Amino acid sequence: MPQSSYLVPRRNMDRRASKFRHRIRPLRLFCVAWLAVFLLTSAGDAFAEESFGKPSQEPPNEDRYIYKRIPDVSVTTASGVQSLSSIWRDKPLLLTMVFSRCAGVCSPFLRSLNSAISDAGGLGAHYRVLVLSFDPQDTVADIETMAATLGVKSNADWIFGVASPSDIKRLAAVTGFWFQWDQASEQYDHPSVVVAIDRGQVVRMLAGASVPSASLREVVQELRGKFVASYALAGKVAFRCFEYDPHSGRYTLDWGLALMLLPGMCAILATAWVFAFLPSSRRKRSLL
Amino acid sequence: MTAATGEPVLWNEAELAEFRRMTLVWGITVLLLLPILALLGYFMRLYQSGAFSGMRAEWFYAVLTLHSLGMVGTWFVGSMAGVSYLLLKYARPSLGVSKFAYIGTLLGVLLLIACTLGGLFGTGWYFLYPLPLFAQGVWAPWATFTFFLALTILGVCWTVWTLDMLRAIAQRYSLGAALGLNYLAGKSGPELPPLILITTVSLIVSLSGFVAAVIVIALFAARALGVNVDPLLMKNLTFFFGHDLVNITMYLGIAMVYELLPAYAGRPWKTNRVVALAWGAVLFLVLFAFFHHLYMDFAQPTWIQKFGQICSYLLAVPAGVVSIFGTLALVYASRMKWTLASTFFFLGILGWGIGGIAAVIDSTVEVNFHFHNTLWVPAHFHTYYLMGVVLIILGFIDHTGKELSGLEEKPSLSKLTTALLLIGGYGFLFMFYWGGVHSVPRRYAIYPREVMQGTFYARVAVGFITLLLVGILLYLWETGRRCLKALT
Repeated sequence: MPQSSYLVPRRNMDRRASKFRHRIRPLRLFCVAWLAVFLLTSAGDAFAEESFGKPSQEPPNEDRYIYKRIPDVSVTTASGVQSLSSIWRDKPLLLTMVFSRCAGVCSPFLRSLNSAISDAGGLGAHYRVLVLSFDPQDTVADIETMAATLGVKSNADWIFGVASPSDIKRLAAVTGFWFQWDQASEQYDHPSVVVAIDRGQVVRMLAGASVPSASLREVVQELRGKFVASYALAGKVAFRCFEYDPHSGRYTLDWGLALMLLPGMCAILATAWVFAFLPSSRRKRSLL
Repeated sequence: MTAATGEPVLWNEAELAEFRRMTLVWGITVLLLLPILALLGYFMRLYQSGAFSGMRAEWFYAVLTLHSLGMVGTWFVGSMAGVSYLLLKYARPSLGVSKFAYIGTLLGVLLLIACTLGGLFGTGWYFLYPLPLFAQGVWAPWATFTFFLALTILGVCWTVWTLDMLRAIAQRYSLGAALGLNYLAGKSGPELPPLILITTVSLIVSLSGFVAAVIVIALFAARALGVNVDPLLMKNLTFFFGHDLVNITMYLGIAMVYELLPAYAGRPWKTNRVVALAWGAVLFLVLFAFFHHLYMDFAQPTWIQKFGQICSYLLAVPAGVVSIFGTLALVYASRMKWTLASTFFFLGILGWGIGGIAAVIDSTVEVNFHFHNTLWVPAHFHTYYLMGVVLIILGFIDHTGKELSGLEEKPSLSKLTTALLLIGGYGFLFMFYWGGVHSVPRRYAIYPREVMQGTFYARVAVGFITLLLVGILLYLWETGRRCLKALT
């Protein structure tokens, strides 16, 4: 909802206040006070509708949202209004939420998503992409402009749309998405997330300023119905045992496995040391 | 006293008396811990049967943690003390190190009691990463710290003890001789007592387990400092350590049987090529069998799961089949002197076999799909612990108590004790197996509606545990009396 629609411009309020200053009556004073309270409350509501969720420096935790069922919200696109379930029913879906006035991460993020999709392949055959605006001010035309800028307006597997604020909040609640209006910059603060939806459930989430091709390839493998048993979570993990290669679908050994070999090696070395070098009453100090 | 190599082992009487005294102290400590830890197990089955409905479930998990770690630790030190004593015939383990291990063990146990019963630390023995660091308000950070401090103290003491026993063996035998390589090469000498062979194999494996524990504790510390660690690595290392420790306890118990049972049977039990090959194979296979604990961790590549199943199957052959077959061959048609100790040795080997079969069943991936984290798991490890190595160690303590006190046993009381332990023990275990077959999950303080039959099974188990506890008390009365007499 546009922020300004609920606010009376300051200069108008000042003018009205100066009129009342000369002819104050108790009833009028009460009315003015009531009006002021109403306006302030309404303004508060307007701010509340501009933000949703708890801002965090950390990306949404996939563990909390995996397999959550996606609400069947209404999405308005250039083709008309349709339910979200009608979009994911045929094919799995990659959902991302942006806003058209975004001067920050939205456009670079969409570009990296487009690039990763080109690299991973399978768009249209195995999945589609839905770019949804979470800004109540955005219209279908605004979001379509983003599609045109990205160069995917004519691609039917890229769907750009808007939804009502309440539907956006329902979607955000099950995907860990949040957005907060920053009055100073007149921009939303929000994370960049791609949510993979299969049969109406969250199956994977990718968060970050860009979409790494390798990560998206894993997601696409899953959307193709292939089970990806292990993948890197957000944040660095030290000493992983195995690394999944989404190119080949195989596992490669990682440094963690070296730690697994350490106990056995230490035991052998310690035993060899004890038998070879400690004082012994044996005549021959041979190891064997 | 002479070593098997023919060289004299220099023990003077005062040293021997001191070592015997220390062994009795270990034995009495084990006998004191046994009823306490058994009562904790009794409490848990009572809790699951609904006897303490007003009590917070957190108590169940704290008691579970203390019971499991306490039992594993108690029988490990019991088997180490036993083997250390039996080694006196062949080598010179250090009395000072044994005392050091004793003090460290006491300190570790006190800290474990403090963090579990005092701090409600309730992660279970496996303290699976990163659970200890995320208490959700159930236990305080000091409890987590105390828990890891206890593990560190126990780990350091037991590692030093292990190294000292290896040192003692190394003074008399080369590594090749201690591992029986001369038998594998077809040579007949020098003669190697099975005790030395099995102990050497077990100590090497336990060293690797302790190193794994050190790495786990270090990585927990790294996580506490903000470094994310791969949970799969942590689980692998934790079970590497835990599986090895439990297996080593069992193997050390077997070593005691190899050493002591022949005297009751009136026949020798010597190392030969098959025995040397079997225990050599154990040294390799036991390091990889632990993978069967991670079958349900699908992030582990399939080839590792297959390797884990193959190693688990193969491990049963050398250690289990060779030793069980050897025991039966030793006893068959012999003039066996059946005392409480020899009966416990024999029954302990059979219990190991029964528990081992249940373990092999569960180590089959297809079966594990159904039995994983059900009561089948505690069923099998309680079988080879309670009816296996525990009986063997109790047999050893009884044997030593009789030997050093000169007090004879009462055959009727021994038979009653054995009968109570067998009926109570196997009855209690049967309810675990029965629960496992009916998909009753393990580690549940209160059973949900879907598996409410677990409550009934727990009530039946409580009856059997009561019999078991009476048997334990009878044993403690008789054997404890002899040990105290020998000590004083």
